Amino acid sequence: MADEEVVNGTEEDLPEKLQKKIAKYDSGAADLERVTDYAEETEITTQDMANAISAIGDRRNKEALEKQAREKELMKVSIKKEDVDLIVQEMEISRTLAERTLREYHGNVVNALIELTN
Amino acid sequence: MPSSNPLPPKENALFKRILKCYEQKQYKNGLKFAKQILSNPKYTEHGETLAMKGLTLNCLGRKEEAYEHVRRGLRNDLRSHVCWHVYGLLQRSDKKYDEAIKCYRNALKWEKDNIQILRDLSLLQIQMRDLEGYKDTRYQLLMLRPTQRASWIGYAMSFHLLEDYKNALNILETFLDQQQKGSNFDYEHSELLLYQNLVIQESGDLDEALHHLETNQNQIVDKLTFKDNLGQLHLKLKQFDRSSKYFKELVRRNPENTDCYKKLIQAMQITEPKDIVNFYLYYAKKYPRASPPKRLPLNYAEGDQFKTLVDAYMRKALSKGVPPLFVDLSSLYNDKSKVEIIEALLLQYVEALKKVGKYSESEVNNGPKEPASALLWVYFYLAQHYDYLNDSNKALNYIDDAIEHTPTLIELFVTKGRIYKHAGDPQKAYRWLEEAQALDTADRYINSKCAKYMLRADLVKEAEETCAKFTREGVSAMENLNEMQCMWFQTECALAFQRLGKYGEALKKCHEVDRHFSEIIEDQFDFHTYCMRKMTLRSYVGLLRLEDVLRGHPFYFKAARCAIEVYLHLFDEPLKDESAEQDILTENLAPSELKKLRNKQRKAKKKAEQESAQQREAQVKRDQHHKSRQQGDVEADAPQLDELIPDKLARVEDPLEQAIKFLYPLQRLSQNSIETHLMAFEVYYRKKKGLLMVQSLKRALKVDSKHPKLHSCLIRFNRFVAENKSTWDPSVQQVVAKESQPFFNGKDAKTLNKEFLTDHATSLRATLEGARMMYHLDEKCQSQALNLVTNIDNKYQDVNNEICTEILRSLKRGDFGSCDGETEEYVQRCQERFPFSAAYRPPCAADGPISGGGSNHASGNEENCNNSN
Repeated sequence: MADEEVVNGTEEDLPEKLQKKIAKYDSGAADLERVTDYAEETEITTQDMANAISAIGDRRNKEALEKQAREKELMKVSIKKEDVDLIVQEMEISRTLAERTLREYHGNVVNALIELTN
Repeated sequence: MPSSNPLPPKENALFKRILKCYEQKQYKNGLKFAKQILSNPKYTEHGETLAMKGLTLNCLGRKEEAYEHVRRGLRNDLRSHVCWHVYGLLQRSDKKYDEAIKCYRNALKWEKDNIQILRDLSLLQIQMRDLEGYKDTRYQLLMLRPTQRASWIGYAMSFHLLEDYKNALNILETFLDQQQKGSNFDYEHSELLLYQNLVIQESGDLDEALHHLETNQNQIVDKLTFKDNLGQLHLKLKQFDRSSKYFKELVRRNPENTDCYKKLIQAMQITEPKDIVNFYLYYAKKYPRASPPKRLPLNYAEGDQFKTLVDAYMRKALSKGVPPLFVDLSSLYNDKSKVEIIEALLLQYVEALKKVGKYSESEVNNGPKEPASALLWVYFYLAQHYDYLNDSNKALNYIDDAIEHTPTLIELFVTKGRIYKHAGDPQKAYRWLEEAQALDTADRYINSKCAKYMLRADLVKEAEETCAKFTREGVSAMENLNEMQCMWFQTECALAFQRLGKYGEALKKCHEVDRHFSEIIEDQFDFHTYCMRKMTLRSYVGLLRLEDVLRGHPFYFKAARCAIEVYLHLFDEPLKDESAEQDILTENLAPSELKKLRNKQRKAKKKAEQESAQQREAQVKRDQHHKSRQQGDVEADAPQLDELIPDKLARVEDPLEQAIKFLYPLQRLSQNSIETHLMAFEVYYRKKKGLLMVQSLKRALKVDSKHPKLHSCLIRFNRFVAENKSTWDPSVQQVVAKESQPFFNGKDAKTLNKEFLTDHATSLRATLEGARMMYHLDEKCQSQALNLVTNIDNKYQDVNNEICTEILRSLKRGDFGSCDGETEEYVQRCQERFPFSAAYRPPCAADGPISGGGSNHASGNEENCNNSN
C-alpha cells in the first residue's frame, strides 16, 4: 500500500498566480510522487515451482536448527552478574552486548574488557 | 475478516471502494464513501471504517483528526487486523517505526497470512536493518506468493544483505530457471542478470562471474557496465590481454573518462613513469580533442619533458582564458621541482607578454600576437600561485595588477578575498567578496561564496540577508535554507556562533544538520518498494549501503565536531543562571547606580517585548504560509519535531551525554580520523572513565601515533591513572595496566614529556603541546614553558599563522597560567611576522567570545566591527 504524498482537489481553490509559483518551485514533485504509486504485482507461473519452494523450506529449517545449537552453546557459559554490571558501567554499552561479549570470552571479565577497548 | 462487526453486502462494497480510493490516492472520494457508511445509524461506530477514514484524513494532512478516528476505530474493534494495520501505517507515517512494527505484529496475530501486512512489515524491517527479521518475513511472503517475482527477489536479497551468498545465488538461480526467455530487449531482465553477477562477484568467485557474464552476453543491454565489468574481472584474474581489449573499447567510447585510461594502464602493465607519459602522448594524438591525455601525463613527467608539456598546456589555457587553470594544476604542487618550473615559466610569460605580446621573447617573429587577455590570466594565475605558497605580498601585488588590467572580472575579486582569508583577515576577505557579488547580483555561486565569507567574519545577519536574495519569497532565509537542507551554510553559521560565544545558537545549527541526516535516512523508505518494482537492484543495494554509512560524510563530521566542542566547553564553563548573575551585580551597587541599572533593564525589557511581538507576527505569517503549502504540497506528513530552542540547548544538564550522541556516529563511521578519538578522549576524560580513555587512546595511536595533540592526552592520562588507580575495581586496574603498558613503557609523565620535547624540538606545533603539559605537570616551570612557545623566531620549521593563532588562544585561555606581559610581547612579535593577519590586531577584530554568551540578539560585536573599520 503506497500511502502519504497528497495532492488532489484543493489546488483549484488557490489563485492562479500562486499556483503557478508553486508549480515553479515544486517541479519534480510530480516525479517524486510517482515513486509511491501503487502498482499491482505481475504473476509468473511455472511448473516446478512447488519443488523449488519445498527445497528452499527444507534448507531453511536445517539452518535454523544449526543456529539454535550455536546459541545454546553460548548460553551454557556461566557469567557473573557483577561482571556484567562492571562492563556496562565502565564501557557504557547495552546489557545485551556486555553479556554477549562476556560469554564469548568464557566469562573472563579482563579479556572481555580488553576486547571492548579495541 | 474476523471483524467483530461485519458489514452487510451494500456497505461492504462501499468499504472496498474506500480501500481502492486509498490505494489510488483519491482521498476525497474515499472520504465520501466513508461518510456513506458512517451515516447509517447502525454503523456510526464501525471500527474499520473509522480507521480507514482516519488514514485517508492523514493523507490529506489532517493529522489530529486522523489519530482521533483511527484510535476510536481501534477501540471499537480490537480484534480487527485492518484497524491494527491502519494504526501501524499511521505510526509509520510519523516515523515511529518501533511502534508501527508492534502494530503490524498485532495485526498479524489476527490474520497471520495477510500479504499486505507482511509486506509492510518487511519494509519497516529493511528500513530498520533488522536483516534477520527481514529474511523471515520475506520467507513467509515467498511461501504465500511463490508466483510473484518480487517474492523471490526479496528473499534472495535478504540473504545477499546478510552476506550469505550461497543461499542468495541459489534462490536467484532457481527463480531464473523458472523464467521463460523474454524478448531480446528486456531491460529489467538485464538488470536482474547484472545484479546476479554482482552477487557472484561479491561471493569471491571471479571465474564464475566471468563465465556468467559471457553466457548471458546477449541478454545484457547495459553494454557500458557489461564491458567495464568484463575488463575489471579479467584484470583481477590477471588476464591482461583481454582486459586491455575491453578498456581500449571503453576509452574509444568516451575519451574523456580518466578512469578508463588508468585502468587501461593497469591492464597493459605499464609501470614506468616514462612509459606512462608516452602512453598518454599516444592517446593525445589519437584523440586530439580529449583533455585527460593532455592533463594526466603532467602527473608523471619530470624535468625538461615536464617543462615542455606544462608549457604547452598552460599556454593553451591562458590564451583561451580558462579560469580554473590553477585549481586544475594545484595537485602538482606536492612536487617542489614542478612548482619551480611552473613559476619560472609564468614569470617568463609576464615579461614576454608585456614586451612583445608573446609567451616567449624568442618567438617575436612567428605567428600573430596573443590576445590581450592572456596577460590578465597570467597575473591571475600568479596571484593564486603565490597565495598557495603563503606569500601574501606577492599574491596581492599580482591580483592588483590583474584588477588594474580588467576591473570588471569577478574572479579577481574572489581571489583577492581568498588571499586575505588565507592571510588571516576574514574581515577584509569578506569585503572583497561583497565587491565581487555586487558585480553580478544574479550569480548564485558568487552570492553563496560571499555569504560564506561573511560567516567566516562572524557576520551571521549579513550572511542571511545575502542569501535571502535567492531563497524562496515569504519565508525567512534561515528557515528556507534549513528546509532546503543547505548544510554548508548551517555548519558555517554554527562555527560563527561558536566563535561569538553564542553556544545555544551554535548547537541549534548543529542539531539541524543532524536532523537533515536523519531525514535523508528516512527518505529511503519509499525506495524499498520502488526499486524492487523497477528491478534497479544494483543501485538499490548501493543506496542501502550508502545510507548505512551516511553519517560518515564530512558534512556530518564538521557539524558534529562543532557540537562536541561546544558541549565540552559548556561542561567546563557552564552558563550562569541569568537571575543569579544579576543578584550578584545588584548587591555591590550604590543606590543611584542601581536606579540607572533598573532604568536600563526596563528599556531592555521593553525592547525585548517589541522584538518578541515582531517574532510572533512573523511566526503567524509562517504558519499561514505553511498551511497554504500543506494544502498543495506533497509533504503533509512530515512529523513534528521538538522545536530547537537555543537557550535550552545551551543549558542542558548533561552536556557530556549530549556530546556522546554526536560522537557515536563518528566512532562508528569516521574511525580513520584521529580527531574522532581525540574528541572521545576529551569527553571520557571529563567523565573519568579510565577504560574508555584507554579505548580512545588505542584507536588514536593506530591512526597516527605521531599526532602532537595525542601527546597531551597521553600525559594527562598518565597522571589520571597515577592519581585514581587505587579506587578502581581490580579487573579494571589489571586491564588499564596491561593495555597502557605500550603507551608509557613504565615511565612517568614528566620523563615522557621531557623526551617528547627533545624529540620534537623543531616542530612548533608539537612544542606547544609539550609546553602546555610542562606547565600542567608543574606550575613552577611557567617561564620555561612560555619561553618555548613565544620565541617563534628560531629553530622551528613549521611556523605559520594558524599555529601562532592557536598559541595565542592557548595563552589567553590560561593554559600557561597568568602571563599578560608575555602575551603582549608575543602578540607584537606575531604582528610583525604576519602583518596581514587580523588575529594580532588590537580591539575588535581579534576578540574572542563576547561576554554573556547564549543571548539571542545577533548584534553587539558585529556592529562594533563594522564601525571601527
